[in-house]
Amino acid sequence: MQRSRWIGVGALASALILTSCTSGPAGVDAKQNSKAPLELWTRTTPGGPGEKGALELAAAFEKATGYKVEVTAIFDDFETKLQQRAAQKKLPDIVMNDATQIGTMHSQGLLREIDLGKIKDSKQIIGQGLQSGKSLDGKQYGLPISAQASALLIRKDWREKLKLDAPRTWDDFAAMAAAFTTQDPDGDGKNNTAGLAAPLSTKRGYASWYFSNFLWAAGGDFITETGKGKYKPAMTTPASVQAMQWFRDLGCKAKAIQPGAVTMDTPPTNETFEAGKAGMYVVGPYLLPRFDKSLGADKYEVVPMPKGPKDATVLAEGSSVYLMAGSDNRAGQDAFAGFAVSVEGQKKGMEGTTGYTVQIPVNTTVDIAQIRTDPRWKTYAQAYQDSGRYAPSIPNWTPVRQVTADAVNALMADCGLDINAKLRELDKQLADILKEQGIAAS
Amino acid sequence: MSLDQADPAAPPAAGPAPRKVGRRGGGAADRRVRSRRGGRWWTPWLFLAPALILSLYFKFIPMVNAVTMSFQEVQPYLGNRWVGTDNYSTVLQSHGFREAVWHTIVLAVGQTFGAMALGFALALLMEGQSRRLGFVRSAAFLPVVVPMAVVAELWRIMYHPTGDGMLNSILALAGMGPSGFINDPDTSMASIMVTGIWRGAPYDMMIFLAGLTSVDRGLYEAARVDGASRWQRVRHVTVPGLRSVFSILFILAAIRGLRVFTEVFLLTNGGPNGSTEVVMTLIYKLGLEQNRLGVGAAGAVLLFVATLILTVIVQLLRRRESK
Repeated sequence: MQRSRWIGVGALASALILTSCTSGPAGVDAKQNSKAPLELWTRTTPGGPGEKGALELAAAFEKATGYKVEVTAIFDDFETKLQQRAAQKKLPDIVMNDATQIGTMHSQGLLREIDLGKIKDSKQIIGQGLQSGKSLDGKQYGLPISAQASALLIRKDWREKLKLDAPRTWDDFAAMAAAFTTQDPDGDGKNNTAGLAAPLSTKRGYASWYFSNFLWAAGGDFITETGKGKYKPAMTTPASVQAMQWFRDLGCKAKAIQPGAVTMDTPPTNETFEAGKAGMYVVGPYLLPRFDKSLGADKYEVVPMPKGPKDATVLAEGSSVYLMAGSDNRAGQDAFAGFAVSVEGQKKGMEGTTGYTVQIPVNTTVDIAQIRTDPRWKTYAQAYQDSGRYAPSIPNWTPVRQVTADAVNALMADCGLDINAKLRELDKQLADILKEQGIAAS
Repeated sequence: MSLDQADPAAPPAAGPAPRKVGRRGGGAADRRVRSRRGGRWWTPWLFLAPALILSLYFKFIPMVNAVTMSFQEVQPYLGNRWVGTDNYSTVLQSHGFREAVWHTIVLAVGQTFGAMALGFALALLMEGQSRRLGFVRSAAFLPVVVPMAVVAELWRIMYHPTGDGMLNSILALAGMGPSGFINDPDTSMASIMVTGIWRGAPYDMMIFLAGLTSVDRGLYEAARVDGASRWQRVRHVTVPGLRSVFSILFILAAIRGLRVFTEVFLLTNGGPNGSTEVVMTLIYKLGLEQNRLGVGAAGAVLLFVATLILTVIVQLLRRRESK
């Protein structure tokens, strides 16, 4: 009995040791083969219209260049699955993902530098887009293929009923929000409408993401660059405090933000707007097809965000092409990146009516109005070009977004909280994060 | 042919035994019986092998890996880097960790006792053989079967923070409210607790119902003859009879309570103003959302140790009590 037990334990232990010691050396330099098919991962719902768009783009690329592409669509846990492939030292060749992911992927060593000299139309890429693909040291690690910015959605029927004009300043904006809240714009005799729909949950940092449209327009900032890739916290600057105070008053004083906003992420907030519980909503263009269907295109309008104390800066986002490290077909990678930003690739990506790979083109020679006749797209493209601003490419933007979302959420949920104390505390947290990432200005 | 016989290295068994019977009959017969009952030494391992291999690959190796990862900065492509206990200090010193631990304990205690009290009450009400009771019991059990995501969405609707919200309109009948429920830092914790109790109580009820059948009916009758009231019968007969059920439920609920995640994540994600942040949501934010798997692993190991300690303490208490 004794012997058998020990043998069993021994077998278990040796199996454990064998399996846990299989990690090999890092940074494999693969032998090049320009015939090898390119594996492309895109962050979109499998089987959805986004995957279809990516497949069409890939097919057009194959036809134009002769390289082979295999498209895989993944939505849930995209980053985790990428980590798993990284652990196997066999990354996909190309990844299409959010522009904000550059910091994380670059610091994990997953990306290879993009030589802009090998991208034919790189001169035609819009400036702030190209900038969003640069890492902290100024090297190009991502190439934008699609952009989007925020604009203001207004219930047109409500606005006309209350005889108001589209807001041009923050004062107009606040007045309209208050009017939508108190003057029963839907005419059902009940006090059940709000001025602004806002996802202010801490989930995935939504509160911070939404608030950035207001913070930046006031001239405030989460963190400010002090030069040479160093940053310092900026949530206690007068402009930031003013923005926070104004936004908070919208919720706490005017009660013009939908009830329950502080626990809502985007799906319930979208429903709030669709269901006629709120009259304004600041969002990107990707929701237009949905609202056209649920609410009706005649019921709402898209206007640029009103000018804040400083300007009309709005959050710009988008997706980028990333060329992954260790690929055995670097020529193919370059060719794909070049095709995706070319006039032909951008036009291809804009085709269709839903699930476009390209929302707003990043190639300055492509006029969105020529492909999409809907003038609302022009509004979005204009907002992006004139006022779009990306989150900075620091090594890891997520913690910054999380702590700012926590603070915004706290101030919106608890109207009695001391705003200056809370923002001072936030600045301290931001300082810690910057220090941990090695980018704190001394 | 059995596997036993196929093994050439097997020690002598049935074959030579009859010759030895003459001299040392007793001993040989003994050995023969033992070898027939026990088989070859590896026979039990062979039967255990499928389960062991599965557990090894899907449980033990990942667990060991998680412990290893908790001491590393995980960057699969560049190679993991040992950082000692840095990940642990990141978790332990993170902003709001202490509050999160406190919230977890409050939530675990509240949900555990709330669900047990409600479950016990339901079990007493629904004990019996009637056919209608079966239907009612199934209906009462429904919250356990419904996926948590659906439960959370349901309660979000019920908790709508204005006067026309479902629960608020009931509160208004009683002249109270409207309450912000999950949207108000003062009531968010209690609201999540109520949701948890609503979901957990029927599960406890089922286990209590099973336990109630083992309580001797004769004791109730004896108590009644002695003039015990209904309440006294519950207090002095039922509750002592269910002692082991209580302790099992307590362990299960406490472990569940420490790991509470889904309802908090879906209802508030730790907000508003961090009032419902629990250990798991904090670990999720620090580890998974920020893509720092080492930190996530450290948090998970800490939680595992806490659960282990709790279980051991309860077991020790039980053992001492039964002595």
